[in-house]
Formats: sequence, structure tokens, C-alpha cells
Amino acid sequence: MDKKPSHARTVIAYIVLILLTFLCLFFFYILIVNATRSHPQIQKGFSFIPGHSFMKNLKSVLNDANIPVLSGIKNSLIVSSLSAVLATYFSALTAYGLYAYDFKLKKPAFVFIMLILVMPTQVSAMGFINLITKMGMLNTLYPLFLPSIAAPAVFYFMYSYMQSSLPLELVEAARIDGSSEFHTFNRVVIPIMKPALAVQAIFAFVSSWNNYFIPALVISDNSKKTLPILIAALRSADFLKFDMGKVYMLITIAIVPIIIVYIALSKYIVAGVALGGVKE
Amino acid sequence: MAGITFKNVVKTYDNGVTVVPDLNLEIKDKEFVVLVGPSGCGKSTTLRMIAGLESITDGELYIGDQLMNAVAPKNRNIAMVFQNYALYPHLSVYKNMTFALELAKVPKDEMKKKVQWAAEILGLEPYLDRKPKALSGGQRQRVALGRAMVRDPEVFLLDEPLSNLDAKLRTEMRSQISKLHKRLGTTFVYVTHDQTEAMTMGDRICVMKDGIVQQFDTPQNLYDHPCNLFVAGFIGSPQMNFIDAQVKKAGAGYALCFGDTEIAVDKPELAPYEGKTVVLGVRPEDLHAEPQFFGKNNVINAYIDLDEMMGAESYLYLEYAGQKMIARVPARYAKKAEENIELAIDVETIHLFDKETEKAI
Ligand SMILES: Nc1ncnc2c1ncn2[C@@H]1O[C@H](COP(=O)(O)OP(=O)(O)OP(=O)(O)O)[C@@H](O)[C@H]1O
Ligand SMILES: [Mg+2]
Repeated sequence: MDKKPSHARTVIAYIVLILLTFLCLFFFYILIVNATRSHPQIQKGFSFIPGHSFMKNLKSVLNDANIPVLSGIKNSLIVSSLSAVLATYFSALTAYGLYAYDFKLKKPAFVFIMLILVMPTQVSAMGFINLITKMGMLNTLYPLFLPSIAAPAVFYFMYSYMQSSLPLELVEAARIDGSSEFHTFNRVVIPIMKPALAVQAIFAFVSSWNNYFIPALVISDNSKKTLPILIAALRSADFLKFDMGKVYMLITIAIVPIIIVYIALSKYIVAGVALGGVKE
Repeated sequence: MAGITFKNVVKTYDNGVTVVPDLNLEIKDKEFVVLVGPSGCGKSTTLRMIAGLESITDGELYIGDQLMNAVAPKNRNIAMVFQNYALYPHLSVYKNMTFALELAKVPKDEMKKKVQWAAEILGLEPYLDRKPKALSGGQRQRVALGRAMVRDPEVFLLDEPLSNLDAKLRTEMRSQISKLHKRLGTTFVYVTHDQTEAMTMGDRICVMKDGIVQQFDTPQNLYDHPCNLFVAGFIGSPQMNFIDAQVKKAGAGYALCFGDTEIAVDKPELAPYEGKTVVLGVRPEDLHAEPQFFGKNNVINAYIDLDEMMGAESYLYLEYAGQKMIARVPARYAKKAEENIELAIDVETIHLFDKETEKAI
């Protein structure tokens, strides 16, 4: 029997939660407020009251020929969406291969993937650039999303999730029902993996959306730049043209898609899709 | 044509444990075969080998006259009801049942008809739109059954398909499955723990122990002529009584002596056992309290430890000459616990077993 939480404890819990919520949302609020203020206003210090320069900032962001915002958004969307899809689908596929089948090199394969997991991107960056140059992919968007196919961390997450939520009897039942292996994966395994796919899709999308390091090395054409490069370019603009309102506006524009993706996918993050399929 | 033939089949799991050492079994086309045996004896393993879900370590498996060792499950044309249901959790009951049909490109309206038919038999009509999560254990089990029913496979494999149903539903499903077998005219292999299911449904019953077939025969033969102690003890409920008895020469025949009873039997096969101990098997229903069975030398006077009144009949747990026995007598002839009762052994129905080899004499 657990006791009913006392009144005081509820109050404290709420205060802590409100504080945390405030801390989380405060920066977003300041960001949005600043996006509506002009450069001189921002320089005077921060304020909770929105300014009147929203349209002006928006126009100056959109009309800057050096900063192709619209194509930046498009590029970022393409790269991030493809990254999310490729990373989740192929990691699930790999995890399924190692989870559901028995073959000789199963253990070594697993160890190998785990070794890649501990290798930081920066270490292999030079080799990566060399490789894509030889493949003729330099200054294209491909190198920004194709490598997502091999995502060891996502693989590991998928593998653990399968261990807890994918009984192999379901796969066997599908086989007996006449389903091919690939069809089983797409029609039985993927739906059960939905919560894991949603979580990892969000992570993959966000990390690709925020990625600056690789795009900065790979992309040189203005029309192929992604948002993080554009933001960096804007912030490093020379002193005379520097406009804080414009920078805040661009950052605001940059976070909107992430929020949309999060809201869209979060409804799939529910526990226990696989519940009730087999008797425990 | 879809008989199933095992030829010297061996199954060794990856951990080196041999679960089925040498299986030879011939299941005829259209036959309803029941596999029974204690838990862990390899029933599910045998079933899974037929399905192709478990590789065969050695030997040959035929369905019809086609060698199946290397054929993938999806190409074997079988339906299977899993011991733990294995329903697709993300699909509704309806979609669970049509999963295989969709793959087989069955037309939509025919699909619907089939599901309707199965749902009616199984009492699942109100649940067709639900997900498995929202069903009770028994309902899930019926969905698992329905998923197999809507197909037209060559072989039907059922792994304890009724284990989670209540007594009434179980009786009903039992007759439904028997009907289904007659209707479809396909080969059925059915695994169960339940005596009644095995005896009432099977054309033949295969009794297994430690992966070895003990006896494969019709229910009547298994009951009347068990080939060894294990089968004798396994088939029949309550279990057959086993009594150690001395064999003595008595006139032209022999006598079985235990306690102060000497039962005269006229069996020449007992010759080699003269002076030795054999196991006398008497089914609880062959211990009679009715007077018409009382003869000269077949009555024991046993002490009742415990009595269980079952309605029409009574189970008496007896002690006689230091050995425990159970008798199943009509309620009006039964006595209460801590009393003595006279019971006659029907000599025609006794079973005799070698004490060493445990085989029937
Ligand atoms: N994958 C496996 N690896 C190793 N041993 C296994 C495996 N599957 C089953 N076994 C063993 O094989 C034996 C037979 O198992 P099986 O599932 O066929 O038994 P069963 O007769 O169906 O029992 P039950 O009536 O309890 O379902 C058991 O001793 C079990 O421990
Ligand atoms: Mg089993």
C-alpha cells in the first residue's frame, strides 16, 4: 500500500516542475522575442516585451542574396528527413538480421558494429572527405545523408528494443502464413518497432538538422548550403552589416521544423505496441 | 496427399542437447494424430520440425512424398496454432485472420466470408475490430485458432490450442475442431496435455517420452493394451494402479500374490517369471465394489485413506498391503474415509509388466 502523496509534496513537485518548464522554455521565448526586435533594441539588453520589427527582420533574412534561406531550409529538410528515414530503417533492418537469424559471424559482426560506435566522427573526417572526393560527391548533398545508413548507435537501440518487444514467434507465425522474409520485416517487424523508430527518427532528424561540421567541410556552393552553415555565415558577417535581429529571426525559422517533426512523431512514442501478441 | 513421415529424424539444439534422438513416425493422409507426453518431452519440437521452424539435424522428413528437410516454412502449405498464440499485436482480429489470405491473393469478398465463418464458429464476431491487447487469454487463443482455420493448408499443426479456455468452451471447441477436421479432410497433428482431448479427438495417439515414441496407436488400443508402464500410467485418469506381485505356480496356471490375496491368472506368458516379482496394473475403474464381481480369489479388503465424491462416482484413495491404490466406484457403493471396503479385481482386465524392462508381458 502506498500512501497518498501529502499536500506539501504535491506543491513542491509542482514548483520544481514549473521551474524546469520555465528554464526549458525561457530561451525559446527570448529567441522569439528577440526575433521581433531590431538590432539596436537587442543591444540595449533583453526585454520580455516583443518589439515591432518582426516583418522587417523576416524581410531582411529572406532578401539577403548571400544567405539563401529558402534553399537552405529545403536542403536541410531533404538531408534531415532522408537521414532520419535511412538511419532508422536500415538500423532496424541490421538489428533484425542480427536478432532473428543465426549465422556463423553473428558475434563478430555485433562486436564490429559496437567498435564503430565508439569512433568519433572527427577522427574519420579526413578519410571521409577523401573518399567522397574520389566518388565525385564533393559539394553535393549525398554525403550528408547517405552515411546515416550505417548508424551504430541507432542499431544498438533497435537491437535492445527488439530483445524486449519482438517475440520471434511472431516472425515464425508470419513465415507459416506464407510471408517472405522481407515482407515479414516490413509488415510485422516495422509496425511493432514504431515507438523505437519514432524516437530514433527524432534524434536522427535533429542531429542532422543541427549538423555543422560535415556540411561545412563538404558543401561550398551557396545554393547547397544547409541552415547551420547559413546561420554561422550570418553571425560571422562583418561588423557593419551585423544585425542581431536578423540572426535571431533565422534561428527562429530554423527551429520551427524541428518542433513540427517532434509533434508529428511523438504520438507514436507509446509504450507497449507489442503487448498482447504472445502469452508471456 | 499429405501424410507426414519421419525417417530416423534427430534433433540436436545448438547447445548440444539432443531432444529427439531417433524419430520414426508415419502419419497418414487425412489422419488426426495427437501427440501427448510429459512437459519437455519434445512435442513442440516435433511439431516445429514439421512446420520447418526448427532445422532437422539428421534424418528425413516427408510431407506427402516430398522431402521437406530444406523447404522453407512458407512453402510447406501448413497452418499452425502456436502454444503462446503469436498474434500480430498491431493488427485487428480481422486482419490477423486475413494476413495469410492477403498474401495468397484471395479475393476480398471470399476473404470476408471465410473470416465470418470462422468468427461464428469461434464466437469471435464481436471482437473482429479489436487488437489482441484488448482480448482475454481465451479469446486470443480462439483468434489463433481462427487464423489457421481460414486457410486451406495441407497440414494443420496445433500446439495446445485449447489450454487457456474454460471447461465449457473447451468441450465446445473440441467438437468444433473434430468437425473442422472432417470437413477439411486434411492431416491434423495436435499436441495436448489433456487426456480427454487426446482420447476423444485422435484417430491415433502418439505417446512420447524424452523424445522417444513409446506407443503410436488408436485410443482404444492405448487404453486396453499399453505397451509399457509409462504408457499405462500416462493414459487414463485417475492413473492406473501399479502393484508389485509375486508370481506363483498354482495348478495349471499361475497366481499373483500380494498382501493376503492370491489372484489366479491363466497366462502362459508368466512362465519365465515364476518366483519373481511383476508389476500388476489395475485401472481404478476395474476395482469393483458391486457384488456381482465378487469371485473366489479376487477380493481385497482395503483401508480408505481419503474419498473424493465426484457426483455419480467416487474416487477412493486406498491402502492395501503397504501399497497405495485408487478405485473409482459408483457413488452408492462407495464408503467413507477411514473405513474398510471390499473390492473385487476384474481379472479379465488386468495388465502385467516386467519389473525390470517395464514392458508389458
Ligand atoms: N531453442 C532451444 N534450445 C535448447 N533446448 C531447447 C530449445 N527449445 C526447446 N529445448 C528443450 O527441448 C526439450 C523439448 O522441448 P519442447 O518445447 O519440444 O517440449 P514440449 O514437449 O512441447 O513441452 P511442453 O508440453 O511443456 O510444451 C525441452 O527439454 C527444452 O528445454
Ligand atoms: Mg510445447
